[in-house]
Amino acid sequence: MTAKKLFLFGMFLLCQVIFAQQDTIVNLKEVIISDTQLKNFSGTQSVLVLTDSVIKKNQPSLTNLLSYNSLIYFKENGLGMVSSPSFRGTTAQQTAVIWNGININSQLNGQTDFNTITTRDFDNITVRAGGGSSIYGSSALGGTVHLNSELRFANQFQNEWQLNYGSFETFGAHYKTMISNGTWSTQISVTHNSSKNDYKYLDTQKHNENGQFENTSLNASLGYRFSKNHYLKYYSQIFDSDRHFSGTIGAVSKSKYRDYNYRNLVEWDWLIGKVTSKLKVAFLGEKYAYFENAHTHNFETSKTETALAKQDFVYQLTPSMLVNTIFEYTQTKGIGSQIGTNTRHIGAATILLKQSVFKSFSYEISGRKEVTSSYASPFLFSFGTKHPLGSHYTLVTNFSRNFRMPTFNDLYWVGLGNPNLKPESSYQGEIGQQLKFKNIAISGTVYYQKIEDLIQWKPNNSGNWSPSNIAKATTYGAEVLCNWNKKIRNHGFDFNANYGYTVSKDDFSNKQLVYVPFHKFNSSLAYSFHKITLNYQYLFTGYVFTSSDNTHVLEEYQVSNLGINYDFGKATTYKLGFQVANLWNKNYQSVSQRPMPGRNFNLYLIFNF
Amino acid sequence: MKNCKILFVALIGSILLNACSSDVVEQPKYVPLGSYDSGVIVVNEGTAFHNDASLSYISFDLNTLQNDIFSVVNHPKVLGDTAQSIGFYNQYAYVVLNISNTIEVVNRYTMASVATIATGLNNPRYIVFSNGKGYVTNWGDGTVASDDYVAVIDPTTNVITANIPVAEGPEKIIENAGTLYVAHSGGYNFGNTISVINTANNSVSSILVGDVPNSMQINEGSLWISCGGKPYYATPETAGKLVQINLVNNQLVKAFDFNVATAHPANLSIGDSKLFYTINSDVYSMPTDATTLPTLPKFTVQIPTLYGFAIKNNHIYTSGYTNFDQNGTVNIYSLGTLGNSPIGTLQKTYTVGVGPSGFYFNQ
Repeated sequence: MTAKKLFLFGMFLLCQVIFAQQDTIVNLKEVIISDTQLKNFSGTQSVLVLTDSVIKKNQPSLTNLLSYNSLIYFKENGLGMVSSPSFRGTTAQQTAVIWNGININSQLNGQTDFNTITTRDFDNITVRAGGGSSIYGSSALGGTVHLNSELRFANQFQNEWQLNYGSFETFGAHYKTMISNGTWSTQISVTHNSSKNDYKYLDTQKHNENGQFENTSLNASLGYRFSKNHYLKYYSQIFDSDRHFSGTIGAVSKSKYRDYNYRNLVEWDWLIGKVTSKLKVAFLGEKYAYFENAHTHNFETSKTETALAKQDFVYQLTPSMLVNTIFEYTQTKGIGSQIGTNTRHIGAATILLKQSVFKSFSYEISGRKEVTSSYASPFLFSFGTKHPLGSHYTLVTNFSRNFRMPTFNDLYWVGLGNPNLKPESSYQGEIGQQLKFKNIAISGTVYYQKIEDLIQWKPNNSGNWSPSNIAKATTYGAEVLCNWNKKIRNHGFDFNANYGYTVSKDDFSNKQLVYVPFHKFNSSLAYSFHKITLNYQYLFTGYVFTSSDNTHVLEEYQVSNLGINYDFGKATTYKLGFQVANLWNKNYQSVSQRPMPGRNFNLYLIFNF
Repeated sequence: MKNCKILFVALIGSILLNACSSDVVEQPKYVPLGSYDSGVIVVNEGTAFHNDASLSYISFDLNTLQNDIFSVVNHPKVLGDTAQSIGFYNQYAYVVLNISNTIEVVNRYTMASVATIATGLNNPRYIVFSNGKGYVTNWGDGTVASDDYVAVIDPTTNVITANIPVAEGPEKIIENAGTLYVAHSGGYNFGNTISVINTANNSVSSILVGDVPNSMQINEGSLWISCGGKPYYATPETAGKLVQINLVNNQLVKAFDFNVATAHPANLSIGDSKLFYTINSDVYSMPTDATTLPTLPKFTVQIPTLYGFAIKNNHIYTSGYTNFDQNGTVNIYSLGTLGNSPIGTLQKTYTVGVGPSGFYFNQ
């Protein structure tokens, strides 16, 4: 029993649910997540779930977790600095981050900085590849990343400490408490990370000056169960970060950046017969301050405040047919030194339908229409099918229309913004095949996407910079995800490998978009024996072009990490771990001229009681 | 199962490859020309924070182009981040690197690196020499109006010996008989003055001109200034102005107002005894004794965004780009002097580095 528990706990990148047909994200009955569409309407797409145990074993930034465990590519301006995703060859604004069912991409610049999300705050992080705009709205072109908090209604009182200390004076502390019974559920966590981050630039006499950062986040989930069919829930998160922006090999920087984000969601769920009603009200805020010189008090700042109300009805029409309607209203107010004061109102209606026609055929359909005065919004839809053939093989198809709305910066930047922008929009199709046996799961997906009205900031012939809907792009590629795990007596093995081939071309120039690698491969191997776990991670990122004429290239890189941990505990977990990042001391850059650290070390302690 | 075996082998293989691979020594792409005189040095700004500023060389006979000449000669050293301008002093060229906050001193004929000035500069822009000293305009922090200065360099030691505080956003700088004229384009804001610095005692006085003075020329006892006017993103946008100053008494001789707010003249140059300036990609010229501004351009530069402009001998040198992050273009046109092709006839076109912004003629 202990061995089994250890095996489960110890496996490094285990528990990745590769298969889309595994609808149930969490199979414990009493566990509740807010993002029910993720559970109910992701059956025809590729879904990768990273559970709590995977999250714990990785560095606390979302960039690091997803770089090594998913096919999302990141460009990171040096360790811990601004980090932008590219998912299936799309731009940083075309990946949506969904917090407990709510889209939290910045209203100012349209993207999420993946180094401003602390993974320890969440119980599971799910990567849903492909179009998702008909459910989640703007930015869901490449795919969506879901940050989920779980509520349990069972008797428990659990505490967890995680402490880590490593190279460059990197320190992290995380505390989480979970208190619940059949009526109440409470989960509160606090996380703090800081680093001097002054690593040496390999093969030079320079080091990463002005790269220090610290951040603190507070996360709370509360639930009250009136009855089996009646719940009130509250989710809250605050993230506060102070980062100096490191420079390049050629130029030392002196700037810094402060981020402050808060997210609050109240949800009232009521089940009446075959109908589930969920009423959600959310308040979200983001604020940044940019200091050109960290030693002065001069800064430039903007903020947005969003209020959102959502009515979500789910009808279980027949045992094999589910209908879901969502009506929502969002108001966002943006205020800033560069964007003035503007308010945007968006109304949206969504209908989703899922039916299992035969045992070997089911489909999902969704449609969404947004209405706003700020831009003309396209009709969004998704149609997917699923064909399980035999007990090991499943074929899925999905076709969808998605969009990305113009941001406050695009529309309102003083003197430069273009109020007549259209949203970016795309059609995307994909076919996936999934094979599953007892210890092994392999899935392969091919996709094709046409993106129109891409918003680009460019100077015109007078040198005037302004955004316009000038570009079109075509992206296509293939993804293979593989998992193998095996237990032989006390020896546990877990192996994951992911490979992505991505072509992303500007339709006019026929050149690959900048910072989209043709090849990305990552893999991990975990081995556990009794109370010891060893794990090895490997990441290959192919070369990328750094100029739109494809004449300037940033070289490919390979990075590996090695970790070992030992559990001293008996009844409780008392785990000591040691990690070596960039084991082979490779000199590499994720963004041109911004070196990443060489070999570095991290010691951690996890204590559950 | 088999597939995973292959992947497993690939993984193990990668570990070994990783551990064993050694870096290949990179060879310079080109052999140095040996001599970079009798031609123009093109400053390619590069993209901000990409550390990809570079210099290109084009011979006066237009037959030779070499890109990235600093790296070719000084490999593996790179020039730095965002080259702004060059000043020549004796056998040296001083290359001002804005984001690097450095000045790279090279031998102007061989391009061999001589020294790097790395202290005392803050957002350096342009450089000029007078009486054996170098003067560099510095914005200081872009968002701070009160920390701008002209740094004084002793070229025998390449050390900054003094700072002369000036108004916000000192940009172009020009010298006449021991007097410096500094155009205050305004940095992140908009300026409308010229600082006059007496190098004997570093005293500063000021002349009010038009909004955003962006280029200057000295011609027959006069200082000519093109003032761009406030740009399209300012409130309100203002029209440009062409100003003539008497160098004897620093008094205004005359000024021409452009009559539409969207007319933003730039790149004032002198060739064939005429004044030249550009608006967007259109090239205008007028005699120095003209009483009105020309209404029609002489020709239009065929580069999407015009970024650099200069005149030498019988040629008009223009540069610019299609996308700011990619290699730029130099187009060389005929000046139209007697006995040559008509003005605006394209002589030659070259692909140079990223963001070509200036031409420095190396006799």
